[in-house]
Amino acid sequence: MAERRSEGRIVTGREIAQDLEERPDVCVVGSGAGGAVVAARLAERGLKVVVLEEGGYYRPSDADMQEATAYPRLYQDHGQRATADLAITILQGRTVGGSTAVNWTTSFRTPERVFAHWRAVYGLDAFTSEALAPHFAAVEARLNIHEQPDEGVNANNRALWDGAGKLGWARARTRRNVDGCANLGYCGMGCPIGARTSMDISYLPDAVEHGARLYANTRAVSLERAGRRVTAVHAEVLDPVTDRRTGRRVVVRPRVVVLSGGAINTPALLLRSDIRLAGKVGARTFLHPVAGVMGLYPHPIEGYYGAPQSVASHEFVERGPGKIGFFLEAAPVHPVLAATALGGSGALHQAFMARLSHASALIALTVDGFLPEEEGGTVSLRSDGRVRIDYPLRAELWEALREGSKALARVHLAAGASAAYTLHEDPVEVRAESDVAKLDRAPWEACRVQLFTAHQMGGCAMGRDPERSCTSPEFRLHAHENVFVVDGSVLPTSLGVNPQLTIFGLAHLAAEHVAAGVR
Amino acid sequence: MYRRRPQRVSILLPGERPGRRGFLKLGLFGAAFLAVGGSGYLATRRTRVRLPAGGPLSVFSPEEATVLMAVAERLVPERAGFPRPAAVKLAEKMDRVAAMADPATQLELRRLVRLFESALGGLVFDRQPQLFTEASPAHQDLRLRAWAESRIALRRTGHLAMKRLVYASYYGSPETYAAVGYPGPPLRPSAERPASRPTPPAPSPSPPGEGAAARPAGPEPSPRPPRRRGVAKPFEAQPVDQSPPLISPSVNDDG
Repeated sequence: MAERRSEGRIVTGREIAQDLEERPDVCVVGSGAGGAVVAARLAERGLKVVVLEEGGYYRPSDADMQEATAYPRLYQDHGQRATADLAITILQGRTVGGSTAVNWTTSFRTPERVFAHWRAVYGLDAFTSEALAPHFAAVEARLNIHEQPDEGVNANNRALWDGAGKLGWARARTRRNVDGCANLGYCGMGCPIGARTSMDISYLPDAVEHGARLYANTRAVSLERAGRRVTAVHAEVLDPVTDRRTGRRVVVRPRVVVLSGGAINTPALLLRSDIRLAGKVGARTFLHPVAGVMGLYPHPIEGYYGAPQSVASHEFVERGPGKIGFFLEAAPVHPVLAATALGGSGALHQAFMARLSHASALIALTVDGFLPEEEGGTVSLRSDGRVRIDYPLRAELWEALREGSKALARVHLAAGASAAYTLHEDPVEVRAESDVAKLDRAPWEACRVQLFTAHQMGGCAMGRDPERSCTSPEFRLHAHENVFVVDGSVLPTSLGVNPQLTIFGLAHLAAEHVAAGVR
Repeated sequence: MYRRRPQRVSILLPGERPGRRGFLKLGLFGAAFLAVGGSGYLATRRTRVRLPAGGPLSVFSPEEATVLMAVAERLVPERAGFPRPAAVKLAEKMDRVAAMADPATQLELRRLVRLFESALGGLVFDRQPQLFTEASPAHQDLRLRAWAESRIALRRTGHLAMKRLVYASYYGSPETYAAVGYPGPPLRPSAERPASRPTPPAPSPSPPGEGAAARPAGPEPSPRPPRRRGVAKPFEAQPVDQSPPLISPSVNDDG
């Protein structure tokens, strides 16, 4: 034990040949959108910071742009994460930089109507667009967040632009966190030219430059407690190649702990540490459950090339009382992503794959968590310790997924598609407006239609009332003096927009509370 | 009278001892499964190993890999230009994917494959009293479809697990890229960052609040295809596709 290093650096599992103990001011668990920003801001204030990251550390030159390499290497559960019934495939990063190292770069500020809902329902009075604006602005400047130029809209996204335009629906080019983007289209496999300003090439280097130490391949297993304080974070070291335990351990004994493992792994770490907060930890998990519709076009789309997301439509984000809203975006069309998303099998599936170059993939993301009766999903632990995610799909959600799919089919037709196909196991083919009603009769049921999520939120919800929340509006874990939660798990609802910029902005704010908590 | 748990069916692997966790829960079908005799002739039928020569597998037994390859043969039927699953060493690739999973997940997957192969399961579920690997292609397709469309959610889950394993392993193989018209990554692995970094425009003056998509639409984009700076397009565009329907009216017509 007790090897001490002083300089800021990134240490991989390969380099950890003996058990280590660290005694920093702050231990940040997780290096994604929340943890990286907090770590950098605290290190810049002169605090000694240690970051633990379960995933590996890869540089842009390591990216070979092959799905077979990237998903196992960079995603949770080696690309196999899903709800327990496999109804919803969960795309979530697991690498230095977290999901920011694999996401499609879409950057929205938190909509004001979401803040308004949080203020009204969860007592988060300090959360206003005005109050967060300086935090968003700082992050946007650091990450070069800007609107995608017109010439950077690929044919896949242009289908959404054209279709929504012809239908008279709201549409806009999205803002992206990129600098020197060549519009290759491989964001989801780790940018090979380092153009995405993900955490691994922005805030984490900032943190390291100010003395922070980041341990990659180092998985936080449990929190050790004494009274109302967490006194240690116990972690195990993983082999960077096999991802199996090496037997080495890292123990961090910080003054303050920041949990930033994301909406699934932060609740799981708390549950492994027997911190349940009366069943609220791991409850109210929201996923923006996604339905997709593939369009086949007479002309090449080549949806595997070009910025994966550059257009969005928020036409249907508010659909009236009792209804769940949805928003429309595009998804890249690489072979594995498409093949595992498509419905059908055998010759039908193969016939679609044979036309992959002419396929456009559009998605409808449902905005869950705003109806009073919505409880979302849960994160729990199986008896053998594995994380389990359940997400019961309510009737209102199926209705939104169905209406979202209809909207996507209409977009495809308006944009000139020959046909559009749902992702049902028995795909519904839409070749004309008269076919859209077929979707009303399709089976909207778990594992009969493929669903996805790339946005994990909640599970450690923030709120004024400790009876109804896990963290305070100052990001402090209830009933604990020195534990903060700074990641997507604090969101009390979903957002209705891609969450990374919300998490960046909240983390930028949270750093002030954490710094004040280091006494 | 001795009474077994009606809700559970055991699919034990060679050398595995029965235990509380050694069961795959099958809900209502468990009872039907047991009603026809869990230890009868059909349950003892053995998979005949038919695997192309390949490296040793770390998760799947040769029998299990044989089942998965038989599934792959049906999920990727013969079609011009599409390599056969064996030609891309699919058994090894599926095994490598499984090898990355938690050992408990690996066990679940192996049990699933055994259950899917089982002649008894075939009889109970699909009225096909034969091993999946011994069934005709038409019957194999029926069994796959029966699982995919089952009223029992667990069977649909099982079908999805096998389908994703097969398709992710198959279409992740560069040997299949040509079949789907995918030219592959646009950069060679050694490629450097483009020499002249394009200067992105200044951040848009987006007011805090509703985000970009809720703002008025920007100027109409021109219809020209996206430009790829510093990246050569490796293949010419595909010929124009006339897009006949993929699904014949008889399959998808709800009339």
